[in-house]
Amino acid sequence: MAGARAGPKLPGRLRMLELDGIHTYYGDSHVLRGVSLSVGAGEVVCLLGRNGAGKTTTILTAMGYVKPRTGRIAYRARNITALRPFEIARLGVGYVPQERGIFPSLTVVENLTVFARGTRRGRWTLPRIFALFPVLEARVGHLGFQLSGGEQQMLSIARALMLNPTLLLLDEPSEGLAPMILQQIVTAIKSLRNEGLAILLVEQNLRTALALGDRHHVLNKGEICYTGSSAELGGNDTVLRDYLSV
Amino acid sequence: MSVLRTESLYCAFGSLVVTKDVTLTVIKGERHVIIGPNGAGKTSLLNQIGGQLHAGRGRILLGGTDITQWPPNRIAQSGIARTFQRNNLFPNLTVLENLCLAVEARRGRPWDFFSLADHRHAVIRRAEALLAQVHIAGDASRPVHNLSYGEQRQLEIGLALAGEPTLLLLDEPTSGMSPAETKSMIALIASLPRTLSILMIEHDMNVVFTVADRITVFYYGEVLASGPPAEIRNDRRVREIYLGMED
Amino acid sequence: MEFFLEQILNGLVYGVLLFLTAAGLSLIFGLMNVVSLAHGSFFMMGGYVAYSLYRLTGSFWAALLLAPVPIVAAGVAMEVIFLRPLYRRGHLDQVLLTFGFTFIFLDAVQTIWGRDVLALPPPAVFDGVVALGTGVFSSYRLFLIGFGLAIALLLWLFLDRSQLGARVRAGVDDAAMAGGLGCNISALFTAIFGAGVALAALGGVAAGPIFGIYPGEDAEILIPAFIVIVVGGMGSLRGAFVGSLLIGEADTFGNAYMPQLALFLIYLVMAIVLLVRPQGLFGIKHGLAASPSGSTPAAPLPSRRALAIGLIGVAALVIYPLLVADYQRSLVTELLIFAIVAMSLDLLLGFTGLMSLGHAAFFGLGAYVVIVLGTFFDFNAWFGVALGIGAAALAALVIGYFCVRASGIPFLMLTLAFSQLVYSVALKWRDVTGGSDGIGLAVKPSLFGFTLSNSLTMYFVALFFFVLCFLGLRRLVSSPLGRVFIGIRENEARMLAIGYATRRYKLASFTIGGAVAGLAGGLYAVFNGFISPDAVYWSASGDILIMVMLGGAGTLLGPVFGAAAFLLMKNLVSTYSEHWLAIIGVVFVACVLFFPGGFWGTLRQVRIMTREKVPA
Ligand SMILES: Nc1ncnc2c1ncn2[C@@H]1O[C@H](COP(=O)(O)OP(=O)(O)OP(=O)(O)O)[C@@H](O)[C@H]1O
Ligand SMILES: Nc1ncnc2c1ncn2[C@@H]1O[C@H](COP(=O)(O)OP(=O)(O)OP(=O)(O)O)[C@@H](O)[C@H]1O
Ligand SMILES: [Mg+2]
Ligand SMILES: [Mg+2]
Repeated sequence: MAGARAGPKLPGRLRMLELDGIHTYYGDSHVLRGVSLSVGAGEVVCLLGRNGAGKTTTILTAMGYVKPRTGRIAYRARNITALRPFEIARLGVGYVPQERGIFPSLTVVENLTVFARGTRRGRWTLPRIFALFPVLEARVGHLGFQLSGGEQQMLSIARALMLNPTLLLLDEPSEGLAPMILQQIVTAIKSLRNEGLAILLVEQNLRTALALGDRHHVLNKGEICYTGSSAELGGNDTVLRDYLSV
Repeated sequence: MSVLRTESLYCAFGSLVVTKDVTLTVIKGERHVIIGPNGAGKTSLLNQIGGQLHAGRGRILLGGTDITQWPPNRIAQSGIARTFQRNNLFPNLTVLENLCLAVEARRGRPWDFFSLADHRHAVIRRAEALLAQVHIAGDASRPVHNLSYGEQRQLEIGLALAGEPTLLLLDEPTSGMSPAETKSMIALIASLPRTLSILMIEHDMNVVFTVADRITVFYYGEVLASGPPAEIRNDRRVREIYLGMED
Repeated sequence: MEFFLEQILNGLVYGVLLFLTAAGLSLIFGLMNVVSLAHGSFFMMGGYVAYSLYRLTGSFWAALLLAPVPIVAAGVAMEVIFLRPLYRRGHLDQVLLTFGFTFIFLDAVQTIWGRDVLALPPPAVFDGVVALGTGVFSSYRLFLIGFGLAIALLLWLFLDRSQLGARVRAGVDDAAMAGGLGCNISALFTAIFGAGVALAALGGVAAGPIFGIYPGEDAEILIPAFIVIVVGGMGSLRGAFVGSLLIGEADTFGNAYMPQLALFLIYLVMAIVLLVRPQGLFGIKHGLAASPSGSTPAAPLPSRRALAIGLIGVAALVIYPLLVADYQRSLVTELLIFAIVAMSLDLLLGFTGLMSLGHAAFFGLGAYVVIVLGTFFDFNAWFGVALGIGAAALAALVIGYFCVRASGIPFLMLTLAFSQLVYSVALKWRDVTGGSDGIGLAVKPSLFGFTLSNSLTMYFVALFFFVLCFLGLRRLVSSPLGRVFIGIRENEARMLAIGYATRRYKLASFTIGGAVAGLAGGLYAVFNGFISPDAVYWSASGDILIMVMLGGAGTLLGPVFGAAAFLLMKNLVSTYSEHWLAIIGVVFVACVLFFPGGFWGTLRQVRIMTREKVPA
């Protein structure tokens, strides 16, 4: 990956994901209006915004599910705008969708292992997953649809980790998790970041977002209306009030 | 005065016991919040009350009537409405049609095969009022699958309110909602009349402590503690197993 | 006792043969959840190709090994080009498409190999008999048992050990998600489909020496194979195996001990299994809603323009019979009658989401009541029609009571089973129904002094009832009750949770649909003066289903055009071309590809889209 050294925005960092001037439509409705952002290795970038602001659409566009009408998506400086989701996933992208996407007729183990990759050399293996989420080990034989909401959420995150990705796209991973587990996940995400993963995170819980994010983008009606670090965002009352109403 | 009472409710999936002799009372007008770790059996309890899951043992009393073995539709008709943790809507119908179906179920004449559904103005007006109440902006003739996830969550609640319940069961109503929508959800709950009782599952502690009159803590099928918010907040065991180091 | 043992062994052979044919289907239907009616065709073509290869090489083994190659090529081409875009569109479109292909394949086979039964000799090694106890047994049959077991073992290794089965199930559960985890679902599905076709072809070759090879064997093998999968449980290889043996034994014992019931016995086994365990013996019970039916928006209210067009249409239908000869008049009379049946099925299928493959039973019942009562008791035909409606409604109420407990494919198979029961009765109760010869009315009934042998009177009677049914059903689907039906189609579990007794509503829909079909049957009896069991055979139900799908389920008017198109094709194309089967097949395929949701459904979709664009 020569030549993938970072540009001015991210000095000294490998740029893992870059969205550049993305315009996405559903039929005639113009949902993303020129979204640009980038995520570097070892960095957590947060997307915030009201319901319907376009956060999920941004993730779906990055993942190749929805094709932007204009704009460019790059992974490690390689243009992936035209690739299909499975091709993007195989490049090393892990995806946790908002509705969890658990396969209902597969058991917990099958959910974890069917599409697992690089578990031999990679860092994530079943034992390590079970150490992070002991509940899942207790439910190994359960079918996907038999799990509780929070258990499904954990499974979805775990399944993405089993791909041993270098870039993670997380769409509200904290949804439906009890506070204790949430804290564990925050710790886990931090350590993933320290291991050098790039993470794009959609997060509604402001406290979690501020604890995790290196950079925050606030989306409003499909446009990024504010960008800042945790300290900047946490101190910016106007943005918090106007766009996040906190 | 209790609206709902469960008596030693017991239910198991194979060897996994999800409710272990749960006795719980919801008092009239109360905002009763259930918290507990993931997989504690909270949703399963709601499923038993709503009739989606049948209890192995024990009784569920609504007012004085035993509703333990009733099917879901009969329970809904007797004034218990619920939302689901996973959105459970009519994705191909429009927002308004979704609500009309729910309004018609309780108020209308669903067996009427001759009048035109689109001319049932009373039903449609009620549906529109609900739409405003749960803050779904925009075109009501959009099919629901075009709504964002959070908007669908709001519609979930609209469908439940359309049932004009005396007891409302909410399964994580604010999950997937942004802080802004969470705020308006809290306001919505606050605005509901006190003739209505609410039994609600929630993981967002802000919401829990704003809304609750009483909190019950579930721990792997059992009630670990139950009491007013201040008491629960300071309960050592609850902090250990659920809240963690928070606060 | 010896007879008993022999039956067991025979049942075993038949069961293994069934497994050979069902093994491929257990991949395509059981695992991939794709309804491929062309499966029987691949089976049949396997036999034919093997026959030619045998003539060429003189070796059974060469034929067995090589025959699947061209068949798989054809199957994979069909999957890649035609079937792949349909996975997300649900079962009905797959049915229509693959049904079209069965016609095309059948025509091809008849053109190449003719219509005679061909014989494929067993390989020389297995051309003898083996003494087993006191009896003898053909050694080829023993070979088949071993062959079937080997295939089962191979499949098991292939699916369970390699996680390939889990991958496919994941793809079926949520194809988008599987893609997001790096799985190339299209390629995987093509591979599995190809494997399924290969198994079908192998089965066709293996069965050749026992059954012979003939056109029509495709349909004969298809239904039992589907029954095996449903009985065993979708997605379960073990289920397919046990199901095969169960059905094989049931059929063999039925033939030996209860010949009167033999036809129906396998359906009975299936119905019992499905009523007790809707997911089949080894199937997994899903907590999730059934797959999407494909969305049809609620019917728009009649606008002024629609009203005007409707009046013009009716006016045209009133003038038409005055201008044409008897034959054309009768043709359109028949169209109108079948349009009524198609609309009544649309109420179930398109509006309530109930996929019925037994609708012809109610049609037939209405017809039988008119003719039987007319023949034996000299009943007035109109009184007969009224009674026929009552009988059909009652039958629908009783049959529906059992069927509405299930939904989706189990519902379809249950309705199929009950309609086959009606068929068996019509066939075996010779004293009343005339058995396979059918039964006819001696004199045509009359109406207000006009005899209905006059084609003009009959035409107007049919037109009157057609308009009546259309307006009535249209009103029904726009009423609150109609909306409840639509809600059940979309999400039954949620309907239950908001307070609807969904079973009762489904039963209501089923009964109304049955009653209207009974009316059409009665009219048909008056019109045709003759009825035979063919009219209640499952393929007649299939025809009605096709009419609805051609026009567009959930549109009410679409099925009217669907019925017209279907009958015109059947009547006209067959007189003009000997390749009419292929032509019909191509029309079906084209219809699925170019008119998703039927042609009326597509038209409406386009209209809605253009309307939405105007204000924007
Ligand atoms: N398939 C679709 N067709 C048409 N419009 C859509 C579709 N999916 C989403 N939308 C619309 O696009 C907008 C953005 O949706 P998106 O799902 O990206 O929001 P979001 O920020 O993720 O919201 P949430 O917090 O509720 O998940 C919303 O207004 C939504 O109604
Ligand atoms: N149909 C089922 N079959 C078997 N086990 C089940 C079934 N449904 C739920 N369970 C198990 O029962 C336990 C309780 O589930 P439940 O959904 O009630 O949890 P919950 O308290 O609502 O959790 P969450 O906060 O994560 O939603 C879970 O461990 C789950 O795996
Ligand atoms: Mg979202
Ligand atoms: Mg839950």
